Amino acid sequence: MDPFLILGLPERLAVDTGQLEEHFRRLGKEAHPDRGGSAADFERLRSAYEVVKSPSKRIRAMVGEAESRGSVPGEVMDLFGSVAEAMEAVEQFLKERAVARSGLGRAVLDAKIPALRKSLEDLTEKLGALESGLIDWFPFFDEKGWDACEAEMGEVARGLVFLEKWQAQIREATGKLFEALLGGMS
Amino acid sequence: MNMETMNEVIVGIDLGTTQSAVGVVESGFPILLANEEGSRLTPSAVWYGKSGEVEVGALALRRQGVDHVITSVKSLMGRRSDEVDESERVVRNGDGLLLESAAGPKSPEEVSAEILKKLKSVAETQLEGEISKAVITVPAYFHDGQRAATKKAGEMAGLEVVRILSEPTAAALSYGLERLDESSKVVVFDLGGGTFDVSVLEMREGVFEVLATAGDTSLGGDDFDEALTLFAADQLGMRWSDLDAMARVTWLSEGRRVKHVLSSAEEATFRVPFVGEVSVSQDRFRKLLSDHLGRMESCCRRALLDAQVELGDLDSVLMVGGSSRIPMVRKKVAAIFGKEPDMTLHPDEAIARGAAIQAGILAGTVREVLLLDVTPLSLGIETMGGLMNILIPRNTTIPCKAGEMFTNAVDFQCSMKIQVLQGERELAKDNWELGGFELPFEASGRGQARVGVEFRIDADGILSVLARDVATGKDTVIEVGSSAVDVTEAKVERMVSQSVEFAFEDMNARVFEEARLKANELLPAVKMALSQVGDLLDRSELQEVAEARAKVEKALLGNQSALLKEGVECLDRATESMATLLIEKASSSVFSPQGD
Repeated sequence: MDPFLILGLPERLAVDTGQLEEHFRRLGKEAHPDRGGSAADFERLRSAYEVVKSPSKRIRAMVGEAESRGSVPGEVMDLFGSVAEAMEAVEQFLKERAVARSGLGRAVLDAKIPALRKSLEDLTEKLGALESGLIDWFPFFDEKGWDACEAEMGEVARGLVFLEKWQAQIREATGKLFEALLGGMS
Repeated sequence: MNMETMNEVIVGIDLGTTQSAVGVVESGFPILLANEEGSRLTPSAVWYGKSGEVEVGALALRRQGVDHVITSVKSLMGRRSDEVDESERVVRNGDGLLLESAAGPKSPEEVSAEILKKLKSVAETQLEGEISKAVITVPAYFHDGQRAATKKAGEMAGLEVVRILSEPTAAALSYGLERLDESSKVVVFDLGGGTFDVSVLEMREGVFEVLATAGDTSLGGDDFDEALTLFAADQLGMRWSDLDAMARVTWLSEGRRVKHVLSSAEEATFRVPFVGEVSVSQDRFRKLLSDHLGRMESCCRRALLDAQVELGDLDSVLMVGGSSRIPMVRKKVAAIFGKEPDMTLHPDEAIARGAAIQAGILAGTVREVLLLDVTPLSLGIETMGGLMNILIPRNTTIPCKAGEMFTNAVDFQCSMKIQVLQGERELAKDNWELGGFELPFEASGRGQARVGVEFRIDADGILSVLARDVATGKDTVIEVGSSAVDVTEAKVERMVSQSVEFAFEDMNARVFEEARLKANELLPAVKMALSQVGDLLDRSELQEVAEARAKVEKALLGNQSALLKEGVECLDRATESMATLLIEKASSSVFSPQGD
């Protein structure tokens, strides 16, 4: 079923996050099993909210089948290499660190963490800017009508999927760096 | 004390590692109930007599040092025999564990049930009526098996467990109940006797939403006692392995006393009658704890990353759990979150009060509040190549579910084995194995049988699995059981790695080779470290490094393994402070409040 319908919201790509959260809190309060609701109703709300809350899932729910094929925005593609490189650098670092035999050997490797972290932060910033750039298209799509811009919406959807995936990977990698640095003190 | 309506009283129970408590909501306020000794806290200690008599709490604790008393049983809940080290007083029972007692072996659930029975009777005495329902708290980072074991313990105690509630979430409830009209983002830092949790929550309009949680289920105040004790034993020339169980109890309780003294004094003395004494400074204590503090910080950073909350967005950092009394821990928390922690919650009572509030919500006596918790660990299944395929990512709001479609890979395949996992590691074997099940297929051609499997995590954080045959529309509830097969595999693996270790027949050659590899790593590392932090060392330290380095370089030219090994160990020790300096430098650069 349509996630917007479940939440009782107008089907619009442009969503005010604050209002959406408040709306979900109100509905959730009524539907939650702890407040006498049924588990199935709450699960329907929760999964609908999960879709509407995320820009990439939201637009994908609207473009449907069309999103799986086709081009990705050029500025997103341009970052593909940098993301792969940064991930590779972190992997390489973790591999080397795992086989270090001495405290000092590990510490010398750990001295590289600030630079690695910096590169991840810079990337996050770039990805964030790109993401907001793509989301800025949403009101335009709403206004033009979705049928009229199906191709553009597909492209934006694919772009957002990549950005979201990369952001999650970067958070994961950052977590691993923190773990290396903090768990390494003894 | 009289309850107006006796039919639906639900109590809230904090089943802690060192102490437990029971509470209930009265006229909208959570209160804790005192036991017959007049205390709101009951030690989580159980003693069994030869003829089956049982004592719980302070009574049991009084026998410690004279007789065997079971304490910290929480650390064994839901654990498998291969997760527990040899020193524990346990009997291995296949996959599971049993604890020694004068009345025969007892499961951790049975022992916990004794504590719960005691709390149940405390509540029944105080409330003058029978109690049959309870909310029980567990560490947020408890996995499915540990939660299920806790629920089972409740049932053994004659309680219907209406909710398994995460401890930091409970603490947030007791903080937030009086601040329902405020909107805030808070961190709950919960360091108990045996477990550590950190949760990030958002509280708005009476809805308490957990954004992320992280933790370590084997990190707590008990580890600090142990670190202090092992240090003292070492200083006094004693080997821990030479001490018998009774002596260990005595030493550890001295370790605990010293820890308590160090919460207010600059220095404390560890005394063991007829053995000697060791003085422990704050600085030494900090060094002993540095590894633990590092692990805690790691969890905090992870939770913040997952919650996608910036430090500046945090309104308060709440500390609970007995170990939040340690000044060093507070200092660490202040440094991590860049703000002074809020110590207004009672460290030992806040969780039980929160449990009582959740009990009130479920009983319908506390309205206008709703809790949305998350699952702490990702849930997934093992895929080809031994990888973990995540179905429900960590920090998903519960209750929730996820589905996956399976099909037969060969003609007339009639079943498929599915392993369910919890954890964050990429390789299936590195995660906690919840269990496996055989998924039945209708006999048909390859790719034609289709069975949808639904994984549900309920509000207790406990999994249930349902399979639906697409062709027949038949639903089957699937029992997820632990499989003995994989434990054996793990054992085989361990044996294999051991046999590789012993493959070197020439011990001398092996020792030399190992030392050589380490030397080849250390020598360039020393050079690099000296260029980065060498100017922070004093002359004697520099000299020590230079001497050890020369020793290693010389030994590398010869073939005497003992000489090289000694030199490498020497260099390892001499470079310890450089290693610490390097890590501190990196840490302060990564975690400085300015962020650059």
